[in-house]
Amino acid sequence: MKTFRSCSALAVCSMLAACATASAPGELVSARSAYDRAENGQTARLDPADLLTAKETLDRAEKSLSNNADPQETKDIAYTAERRVEIAESRARTMVATQQSDSVTAQMNASQTATVRGTSAALGRANQQLAAQGQALQNSEQARADAEKRAAQAIADLQRIGSVKQEARGMVITLSGSVLFASAKWDLLPDAQVKLGDVAKALTEQDPDSKMVVEGHTDSQGQASFNLDLSQKRADAVRTYLVSRGISSDRITAQGFGLSRPIADNGSAEGRANNRRVEIVVQPSAK
Amino acid sequence: MHTQSILTIPALALLGCAATFPPPTQHLADAESAQRSARELGAANQPAAQLHLKLADEQVALAKKEMADGDNRAADFVLARARADSELALALARELNAAVDVKRAVDTSNATANTNAIQGAVK
Repeated sequence: MKTFRSCSALAVCSMLAACATASAPGELVSARSAYDRAENGQTARLDPADLLTAKETLDRAEKSLSNNADPQETKDIAYTAERRVEIAESRARTMVATQQSDSVTAQMNASQTATVRGTSAALGRANQQLAAQGQALQNSEQARADAEKRAAQAIADLQRIGSVKQEARGMVITLSGSVLFASAKWDLLPDAQVKLGDVAKALTEQDPDSKMVVEGHTDSQGQASFNLDLSQKRADAVRTYLVSRGISSDRITAQGFGLSRPIADNGSAEGRANNRRVEIVVQPSAK
Repeated sequence: MHTQSILTIPALALLGCAATFPPPTQHLADAESAQRSARELGAANQPAAQLHLKLADEQVALAKKEMADGDNRAADFVLARARADSELALALARELNAAVDVKRAVDTSNATANTNAIQGAVK
């Protein structure tokens, strides 16, 4: 019996000694190291739940070791603990990558949105410019149509006052001298002023930049020098009146030709009446 | 007689434990489910994940053998390893996929920036 007790005590002491000196298996050492790494890295912040699972598994391995459980079980639990740590670390890295991907995508989308907005604004401005150009073109065409209409109207008006002819030197408006002046006078008659007012209006509307020459002509009655002087004064009178009605003075000149340019036979009363005239020669502008 | 009792009781207890440890069928199913998930995510084609998937395969095979031999307890521990390796393979596969997504996003962003720069220069 004594021998049995001694043996038992020896066995217990041996077991305690074995516990005290039992070294951790490589799997446990590796798991501890992995856990320390993860606990001090981004994993603790990003995936604490999985790291806690790893810690609980590591604690089980430590307990298995301290309880002197089956060494293979300790190794298995430690192995599992290390894998749990690695899973937590991988998931943390995945979170970082996902955040990075989301951030890049968000920045790209923001940039795209800004670009689209910029393009849209530019398109809007271009459309506005196009609309303005279209409106300007429409206005221009309308203005041209209006001008053509006014010109046609002006010619029609002129034709009511005198004759209008197109010649190589330009448009020639011929006004009868008897309508404009009293015999041997160069003051415009009141009715003539009305008619010349219409002429001025028509000339202004037809081509505001055209040049004009007012030519005075007489019949062959009387002295040539008198007729030349009379024709010049009549041309000047017409020019002065047209200038007073808004035609720029630098656009219009006056010249008397006396009896030198008859258009009809001075042998008849009708022919002389036709020769007594004022002609306004309108030379179109160069545009 | 007393000595026999001291030696016999722990032996019977151990035998009783071994005999009563149930087959870890649920843990086997869990491990195999984790393997399938990892494979479905492409772990078998990614070197880092592939290694752990292979380890899991070997461990599941070992566990099945131990279960067949009646060593359910050992099988249960090996299945825990297998499940952990499978889940790690799955996590690594997801990590690689996320990295690919990052690269794709960066490439797309750079290409878009270049396109915008060219269009801006043309305008």
